[in-house]
Amino acid sequence: MKTPILEARGLTKSYGNRVVVDHLDLSCKPGTVLGLLGPNGAGKTTTLRMLYGFVPPDDGSIYYAGERFSDNRARAKRSIGVCTQEDSLDYDFTVAQNLLIYASYFRPRVENLEGRVAELLDRFELAQYADASPHVLSGGFVRRLLIARSIVHRPTVLFLDEPTTGLDPSARLDVWELIDRMRADGLAIVLTTHYMDEAERLSDELLVIHEGRRVAHGEPHHVIDTVLGDHVIIVPRGEPAREEIAAWLQARGAEQVATVLGELRVPVSKEDLAELTARFTKATWQVRPPNLDDLFIALARRNGRFE
Amino acid sequence: MSGLGSLTAVADWRSWAVLRRNALVFLRNWRTAIIPPAMEPVIFFVAFSIGVGRYVEDLSYRGVDINYATYVAAGLIAYTGFGTPYYEALYSAYVRMFYQKTWDGILATQVELPNVVWGEILWGAVRGMVNISLVSCVVALFDLLGVVDVKVQFLVIMPFLGFIAGCAFASFALIFTALVPAIDHMNYPVFLIGWPLSLVSNTFFPIEPESTAMWALMQINPVYQLAECARGLLVLGNPGPHLLGLLASTALFLIPCTLLSVRLTRRRVLGD
Repeated sequence: MKTPILEARGLTKSYGNRVVVDHLDLSCKPGTVLGLLGPNGAGKTTTLRMLYGFVPPDDGSIYYAGERFSDNRARAKRSIGVCTQEDSLDYDFTVAQNLLIYASYFRPRVENLEGRVAELLDRFELAQYADASPHVLSGGFVRRLLIARSIVHRPTVLFLDEPTTGLDPSARLDVWELIDRMRADGLAIVLTTHYMDEAERLSDELLVIHEGRRVAHGEPHHVIDTVLGDHVIIVPRGEPAREEIAAWLQARGAEQVATVLGELRVPVSKEDLAELTARFTKATWQVRPPNLDDLFIALARRNGRFE
Repeated sequence: MSGLGSLTAVADWRSWAVLRRNALVFLRNWRTAIIPPAMEPVIFFVAFSIGVGRYVEDLSYRGVDINYATYVAAGLIAYTGFGTPYYEALYSAYVRMFYQKTWDGILATQVELPNVVWGEILWGAVRGMVNISLVSCVVALFDLLGVVDVKVQFLVIMPFLGFIAGCAFASFALIFTALVPAIDHMNYPVFLIGWPLSLVSNTFFPIEPESTAMWALMQINPVYQLAECARGLLVLGNPGPHLLGLLASTALFLIPCTLLSVRLTRRRVLGD
């Protein structure tokens, strides 16, 4: 069993009186992707910023390869790669120079840098743009360059903050492939995303945060089961018994009754589904397995965004 | 990083890596980066020395009579030594910080925030050296033409004096860079601080302080010390007390301004 290369224990951060991250634990092993999920304002960004050293935690510890981050920041930062959501490419340089100049911010120096740059240009299909300004790149290729840049120094842990936001479906799939290959190369990857299909497909483990606290953690299907249960029923907009069904489910303790475009979406257990079927014999609804979209909506609703 | 750590970061390779990055960009664009900004002090020099100078009598400088053009030559070096790093750290650093997100990219590496701040301070000072070198060449040319009468060999020292003071000016400017909400607000530090400071520092005309407080203020003003140090060297070959004054006033500016810049920039860029 692999040992985590990144571990955080009891991470806590407050801004003023507001606790943004509250005693959060997480870990990531080499060759795995940890998906960090949660609605807006859940504390994902602050967690990431603490992990890569932008802001210090008020409490808790971060370890890279067993060494406390605060004990030797330079060594820890040498081992991590950061690909932020915002485009922070250096537009004063060409595509290849972006990789070269970025590598100059690390010591010990990158071994065989020229070779490493050529390898990345080739692997990320950027070779044809090597001497061009990043201005000529499409959104998908900008993202490729950002990711390539973040691993030019051969880190062991990579942070990807919403790496496919704003990309078209084809470019998204390309980035998925790149992430998958980096995982296969042994990188420990911490991924945040708003795309639930992306999180579900790419993550080996999910960590769901809500109001700065851990809500669920584990393999994707385990997380969904933990938070949502066995099934989701979808009661269509025109169903006459819709309100009655919602009231009945709420009376039985269902907290996550969401309305999406007039449809009622409610996670239910096997037992509740059986009783519902027996009670509302003339009503129609669909039943499907829960997915991360349901989880996300449920969390967002708890957060007040749907109210 | 502690306050002391923020100050000693100047010796860290990471600060010089940021300086190197800015220097590489400058070298890529050297024509547009050198010629227009360098023309400004040249135009000033021609206007003040040949234009205004014809209507101004000789001045007495530490017991030596000099013409107005000679007086202005040192002032222009000080003006360039102040203006170049000051505006570089205001506008160019703001563009790198806010629009280009260059700092965000750099901070995602081993480079820490004090290194970025020092990189910008050092780069501002280096830009000052470059422009002072150009102005010094112009002064040397005018000396050859007999318009000014300076000890030309001391022109070689001017860029280095400018570098020292330039660190103070750049660190001072970075405070505003971290504070202004939008680039339009740079007008405040430019017109309310930069311009007045460059005029009341014995650059283009001498000021006789009428009170002790005014005299004391002048002593802690690095622009004044730079102008007087340059003038002392160019006219007499002796900076007098102003070399020490330049070092002291630079330290007096640089240390608190750097600490404050790091603090304010941390809040602005890292949100902490």
